Amino acid sequence: MSVDRDGRTIPLSTDGTIGPGAFRILALGSVLVLTAAYVSVLQDVTRVVGGTRTLLTLVVGMLLAATALARLIRLRTAATIAVTVAVVGFVYYFERSGVGAEALFSASETVLADVVTLATGLELLRVVEAGTWTLAFAPGPVFLSWYLALRGRYGLSVLPGGFALVFLVLTGDAGTTATLVGVLAALGAVGFGDLERRGGSVAQADAIAVLFAVIVALSLSVTFVPGGTGTANPTTAGASDGTLEATIDSASERSGIAGEVDLSPQIRFTVEADEGSYWRTGVYDRYTGDEWVRTGQSQPFGEAGIEKPAGTTGTVEQTVTVATDLGVMPAAAQPVDVEGGIADYTEVSAHGQIRPATTLIEDDTYVVRSAVVDPPPVVLHNAGTDYPDEIEEQYLQMPESISPAFEERTAEITEGADSPYERTVLIERHLRSSKDYSLEVDRPEGDVAEEFLLEMEEGYCVYFATTMTQMLRAEGIPARYVTGYTSGQQVEDDRYVVRGTDAHAWVEVYFPGEGWVEFDPTPPQPREAEHTERLVDAREENIENVDIETDGGDGDGSDGEDGSDTRGDDPDDGPDAPDHNPDGNESPTDPGSGPSDRNGTEGQASETGPPGVAAGDGTVSTPEEEGVSSPVPITREALVVASVFLVGLLAGAHRTGATVRARRLVGRYWQRRTEDPDRDVERAFRRLEGVLGREYRPRRPSESARGYLTALEAAHGDELDPRVEQVLERYERAVYGDGVDRAAADESIEIVDEIVRKRLPAVARLRN
Amino acid sequence: MTEPPEPAGDEGADTKGTRDDGDSDSPTRATDDRPDPLPVPTVATLSTDVVDNVSRVIVGHDEAIEHAVVALLGRGHILLEDVPGVGKTMLARAVATSVDCDFRRIQFTPDLLPTDVTGVNVFNQRTREFEFQPGPVFGNVVLGDEINRAPPKTQSALLEAMEEEQVTVDGDTRPLPDPFTVIATQNAVERDRTYELPFAELDRFMKKLRLGYPDPDEEAELLGRTVGHHPIESLEPVTDREAIVRARETVANVRVEEPVREYATRLVGYTREHARIGASPRGTISLLRAAQARAVIEGREYVIPDDIQVEAPTVLGHRIETADRDRDRDGDTIVADALERVPVDA
Repeated sequence: MSVDRDGRTIPLSTDGTIGPGAFRILALGSVLVLTAAYVSVLQDVTRVVGGTRTLLTLVVGMLLAATALARLIRLRTAATIAVTVAVVGFVYYFERSGVGAEALFSASETVLADVVTLATGLELLRVVEAGTWTLAFAPGPVFLSWYLALRGRYGLSVLPGGFALVFLVLTGDAGTTATLVGVLAALGAVGFGDLERRGGSVAQADAIAVLFAVIVALSLSVTFVPGGTGTANPTTAGASDGTLEATIDSASERSGIAGEVDLSPQIRFTVEADEGSYWRTGVYDRYTGDEWVRTGQSQPFGEAGIEKPAGTTGTVEQTVTVATDLGVMPAAAQPVDVEGGIADYTEVSAHGQIRPATTLIEDDTYVVRSAVVDPPPVVLHNAGTDYPDEIEEQYLQMPESISPAFEERTAEITEGADSPYERTVLIERHLRSSKDYSLEVDRPEGDVAEEFLLEMEEGYCVYFATTMTQMLRAEGIPARYVTGYTSGQQVEDDRYVVRGTDAHAWVEVYFPGEGWVEFDPTPPQPREAEHTERLVDAREENIENVDIETDGGDGDGSDGEDGSDTRGDDPDDGPDAPDHNPDGNESPTDPGSGPSDRNGTEGQASETGPPGVAAGDGTVSTPEEEGVSSPVPITREALVVASVFLVGLLAGAHRTGATVRARRLVGRYWQRRTEDPDRDVERAFRRLEGVLGREYRPRRPSESARGYLTALEAAHGDELDPRVEQVLERYERAVYGDGVDRAAADESIEIVDEIVRKRLPAVARLRN
Repeated sequence: MTEPPEPAGDEGADTKGTRDDGDSDSPTRATDDRPDPLPVPTVATLSTDVVDNVSRVIVGHDEAIEHAVVALLGRGHILLEDVPGVGKTMLARAVATSVDCDFRRIQFTPDLLPTDVTGVNVFNQRTREFEFQPGPVFGNVVLGDEINRAPPKTQSALLEAMEEEQVTVDGDTRPLPDPFTVIATQNAVERDRTYELPFAELDRFMKKLRLGYPDPDEEAELLGRTVGHHPIESLEPVTDREAIVRARETVANVRVEEPVREYATRLVGYTREHARIGASPRGTISLLRAAQARAVIEGREYVIPDDIQVEAPTVLGHRIETADRDRDRDGDTIVADALERVPVDA
């Protein structure tokens, strides 16, 4: 009797039922995890734009309110409360963003357009009032889902949370991990809730675990989450992976910060203009700590037009001829007018930067008139700090994570300065002199500006410009990060050839009454040297499209070189590069030498340059860059997901019997002795059966053990070990009789071991 | 004829075949002083001796003899169905003689009365009291010859005795001797003027056997042996009544573990699913008892599935009725199918 009970019907612990209480806790926990999933996405936003504490307070408040009201109010009331909270939130949001609350009630196009643009991939970070938006968005779903969960309506409770998460997925803010965790949690809430209601067991819960694993596996193999690994929207064939251009213009609305980058020596465009200048292609105002984001939306040029800056000193007309596919429209700051057919396809960002609505192709030409802001330092010095509200609101943003050390260091550097202008110059000078230029840097973890100022020894323009912008903001000076190209190689008096090597990032600082003035914290000489080197290398390697072919290679080349010197002078003097002006004329930085050197090098550099790559066309996405330069850190979420996957895998294996099979396979060759000799004998016989089954034929189900061995003996009597009879008898006694003793069991195991090993070629050889 | 209540053990304990569960000793017998069981090897030897002894008389039917011994030790009864003249009666007599038991014979005829089987109360003029004259059923081995020739009422007199191991006449219940085994024969050829045994009553026989004709060689040997004096006359007992009673106790104590019980249940279940009427719970009990006896004969104190497999055809075959349209199949083929299809281990 005991034989049987021990041998056959082992009471599995997994058959035990868990109380519904445990499932309730699991279900509620799942709802909380789902809530945490989308709140964490929102928190990513507030971390950048501020308001994390408010957001979390709001969420906790909503949870508490839902807990308190769960038993008091009815579902309809709760839904009304949730909707009311949401409406109030969005009214506030619309008030803040200047649209006006009535927009919400009239259900005007504004609201619809807002929702649609968000749902079609406008990331929250690009919303000007992103912080307010999150505060308006969060409370409703949090309140409603927790209320429903507490009332045991898990299926319903997943709806508001799931809606919130899906919306954030559509905006592109929810990354793969957050989405995955959210989906798993939603599944868990429904599944565990169901088990709670029906009084399930652990054995049934493993079905949920299997589902989890399947989802994890699927999501790893098929990435459909917009915010997932594939953030890159390859805009054009152009900048190859890892180039500076690809990084800073990875997407039209954001500018990444990478680790080590390369420079492409190919020609991008040529400019005909009276003066050289920095050709600006992008303006970014929101800094997340590891990349720049442009808020607001672009509008067609024809509708919007561009306001002329207040302190304009002159106008520069540029005729730009595109030499390769280009997703940007380089122009000197501030572009105010676009002529030519392209004007119809031109968009203007909220910051006054022009962009093409479609990719420009080779030989496209456009004429841009730019209003040059070039006030003398004295004017800037006296500009004061009377910033307009919207400027302060938009261009003083810093991530919440920025450390006091960063601000302290900045304050040290600017000590003694008595105007924003002086402080700006001090910061620029400090960065130029204290950091080395290098394109080969490891991208730091954490806040780039902070790391660069406090820890890093060297970097390139992106690091310099980012850091300077943030330092200025720390000082309360509105500043923004701009990308584009330096003036390039001057091949004729009014003609500039711009290559990939000229890609650059610098800073614009706002001065009341004047407008945005350019500053460049990147040390010019090392940069020139570095960039020239690339160009020379490219020429030696005969890379195509490094020089202008149309003009006739040789002559131009020599001309270019000659001209480069002159050009160098031009920028120095000031009109070309506005950023130099402050420095050049009066600031302590060596204005003349700096720019001249740079220009010179640029000139040399411009010698090479295949046509392929266009700034802004970059196929490379920032995340990928990061992946290359620094190993992706294993996040806690990833660990959770991985463990969920593993548990699910185990449950699946358990459910499909894979574990049993694996154990059998192992058990065939190696038998662990148990406390129970009867069981040992039984298992020994099963092993014997397995071996004989593979060698002759398996035992038919309707065949008794004895009948099987008798039949085998009749067929292959001489081959069979006579001791199998003994094993059989012990087996019968163990299973059907009064059991066997330890010695008999051990003997049986030994016999079977020997028989099995004799049939295992490798082991047999070893043993001999 | 009154219908005494069935002992609870029989009907109630469907698949439990162990002695404890399936005790069918009639209430009138002393259940508390059970005979001392013989050791298993002793019984095994004894059985072999009996089989050898009987086979001196019955040539070519060793298997049938073994079945008869199994029924004797397993407290069952046998129905022999065959053509006349193959030695049905001789088998019964030889078994009875070999175990030194009281042998009685009842020749069933159409005019046989129940009291001719059970006995009758006769008024004694001298004592002025009724005295019971025991009928031929009061024997250890009772041969019911051509049982299908008697009318049902008479048949049931014997069948009741078989089931209850007791006889009730005029309200007095009298136990039958121990051991008590009925070997009934049924003529399979002359179906005229016979009363087919009702299906329900067939169930009371542990086994139904067919002897069949002997091989030519065996028949030659048979002729050589029997033409002069029939050897039955000189057959000597090889054991005694008391040994048989104790051997039966041994059999009843044989271990039937759950896997075996479940296997038997599965087999029986199969017959129920695949025939119009499958084997009854009594059939399951009989199967396990027969298997117990078989195990002892093989020298084992526990039943293995093989015992079940050996016993199933003779024990279950006659308890199964196939549908009329199912002409190709009868109980035996169903049992064969069951053995072929039902897994031994769950």
